[in-house]
Amino acid sequence: MDFAYDDEQKALQSAVREMANRLVPQETSGDVPVGPRPLDRDAWTAIAEMGLLGLPISEDAGGMGASPVEVSIAAAELGAARLELPYADAMAAAVMIARGEGGDDLLESIVDGSSVVLTALAEPGRAWDPEHPEATATKSDDGWTITGHKLGNNDLTEADAVVTTAQCPDEGCTCVFLVREPKASGASVSFESAEAIRLGDLDLLTEGLNVGIIALGGEALGAMGAALRSTVEYLKTRKQFGVPLAAFQTLTQRAADMYVSVELARSTVNFASMAITDHPGDSATASRLKLITGRTGRHVGQEAIQLHGGIGMTAEYSVGHHTTRLTQIEHTFGDSRYHLARLTAGVREHDMVDVLA
Amino acid sequence: MQRQLTDEDRAFQQEMRQFFTETVPEELRSGLSKDGEVDPDVMRRAQRLLNEHGLAVPHWPTEFGGKDWTELQRHIWRTEMQAADVPPPLAFNANMIGPVIASFGSQEQKERFLPPTANLDIWWCQGFSEPDAGSDLASLRTTAVREGDEYIVNGQKTWTTLGQFADWIFCLVRTDPNAPKKQMGISMLLIEMNSPGVTLRPIKLIDGGHEVNEVFFENVRVPADQLVGEENKGWDYAKFLLGNERVGVAPVGSIKRKLADAKAYAAQTKTATGTMLDDPLLAARIAELEAEVMALEVTVMRVAGNSKEGRPDPVSSILKLRGSELQQEVLELITDIAGPASLHWTPTDDIEEWAARSTPTYLNFRKASIYGGSNEVQRSVISGGILGLKG
Repeated sequence: MDFAYDDEQKALQSAVREMANRLVPQETSGDVPVGPRPLDRDAWTAIAEMGLLGLPISEDAGGMGASPVEVSIAAAELGAARLELPYADAMAAAVMIARGEGGDDLLESIVDGSSVVLTALAEPGRAWDPEHPEATATKSDDGWTITGHKLGNNDLTEADAVVTTAQCPDEGCTCVFLVREPKASGASVSFESAEAIRLGDLDLLTEGLNVGIIALGGEALGAMGAALRSTVEYLKTRKQFGVPLAAFQTLTQRAADMYVSVELARSTVNFASMAITDHPGDSATASRLKLITGRTGRHVGQEAIQLHGGIGMTAEYSVGHHTTRLTQIEHTFGDSRYHLARLTAGVREHDMVDVLA
Repeated sequence: MQRQLTDEDRAFQQEMRQFFTETVPEELRSGLSKDGEVDPDVMRRAQRLLNEHGLAVPHWPTEFGGKDWTELQRHIWRTEMQAADVPPPLAFNANMIGPVIASFGSQEQKERFLPPTANLDIWWCQGFSEPDAGSDLASLRTTAVREGDEYIVNGQKTWTTLGQFADWIFCLVRTDPNAPKKQMGISMLLIEMNSPGVTLRPIKLIDGGHEVNEVFFENVRVPADQLVGEENKGWDYAKFLLGNERVGVAPVGSIKRKLADAKAYAAQTKTATGTMLDDPLLAARIAELEAEVMALEVTVMRVAGNSKEGRPDPVSSILKLRGSELQQEVLELITDIAGPASLHWTPTDDIEEWAARSTPTYLNFRKASIYGGSNEVQRSVISGGILGLKG
């Protein structure tokens, strides 16, 4: 096992870092946006030009032919720089289209950023469970139509198409569909006999979500690392009672625990990105990644605010943004509870977890 | 980055697995773990068998039985050994004093001590802690005064693990009480346990077992050629040794073994509707620990190789911290699975050995976050050494 990035991966990392820092104003003042916001098309075009939207797409289909490892590397830099884009969501959708049975004509424009395709897999009033949707799909001579209500992870008003799931009562299964020109209102989208293309079955969903989860893991790692760096810097420079905060052991020990969390998350993200490259359907590893980054993200985000004190609560300061994003990431593509439940259902399937398998 | 094992490493893994599960006889594999007490005979036989096959001290210099293994191979060796429940080579010998003598000892000391240390012909114990010098090790007070070719040692050591079986003790002693810093006046001496003036008193612990001792030195005469390295440089050797110790205490293979055992125990413990493994609350604790152990194991692979000579990698503190926490959580889980049977410490026809051992073992391993540099010390190592947070 080798955790060192090769030269190409290092080059990708520094290029994305440089671009992301350019796109996000590092010094903020005045009225800083907080919370969910619409897609920033300029930033989207910038990451498309760098090839990030095509990383997990094969070269034949106009992509970069890279692996989930590269996706996690790129996502980590976006997360560290607070470039809040639906990158993970778009990667999940793109992988499902690329590996699915339809919608290939969209791929090129997804990769170049001109088409925005996102997922709409949750449903209003329901916990995350895209494998058991209320939405239904019906087959006719012309193809498929879908009826139901969906929620995206992001504002869907700019989406040119969405990937979603619906149950097919006639066939007794749930499938993955592509719907073009969704009539979205914010993050909600309603389908009434909307025309849909069937992309594939639930295996396709797993593969797409696994890549999305790797991207989320990378983003979480970047956000955690940045929040930790900021916290350490603050403890060194901020003085209280005439001494730097670093003079108080209760604070430094908590910073040490944050470091441990970040490093365990780093190991997990790096490992999972390699494991899912080798086994695209390995949902157990994806769930472990989600569980670990969910827990560590919460720990690091909460402590970053607490150790900063009042300044950590302000919209102008970065740790709040990182914590916001970490909280969103935990609730994207299944939260810690969902993934722990999925792992719990599978504990009988192995004796020990073998990381070298 | 590369996740999968190369064909060569895969073959190595198979070789190790085969050795530990097939060549090592059953009575050596189960002898240690079921019983909280160490059986010195089992330990000696196991280590000699390993040594005979060149597997006792792979991290030593090759001229003294070491192997030119990669860090990954060492990890595979250690993990397969723990997963098969084979008692690992005595840590005091293999991980602590052996590497110190190999790195800092005289040629004569190397030839005299290393072969019997590898073969557990000498059983070493550690004389570091004192009643007033635990985590603050450098404040130790045991003195050694040079008289001709001998040192005269007076003082007391404590928490001396398995000292009752030991032939020799490696000790930190104060040789210069006037040194400008307390770390600068310390030396490391090798002392025979049967020297006149050495007495040992057992300390009984909360699990009822006897694994640690107090050791008293009263005008003990120690030949000067049993000084390791240079006088007053003992602190450097101790830091080197403790760095190795810390890396050694992320027992991932053994945590995984125990977690798999916990699953088997849960599956055989009945409830009204099935077994405890069917209880989602219990199964969720297992699933959660599996995820956390995976994160630790991968971290071990990332950082274990970085211990540099005389300068332990502070990142290894993560391994000590999380390794001890997870080890404790898994043992806690096993007592919870045993439930009513955990109230009874003696196995009977109705109470299985694992259940009877569960509470004493759980209690015994509260030590893991205290020894080898307490977890609070590890946090200070991380905050100071890695994050640069120094008041």
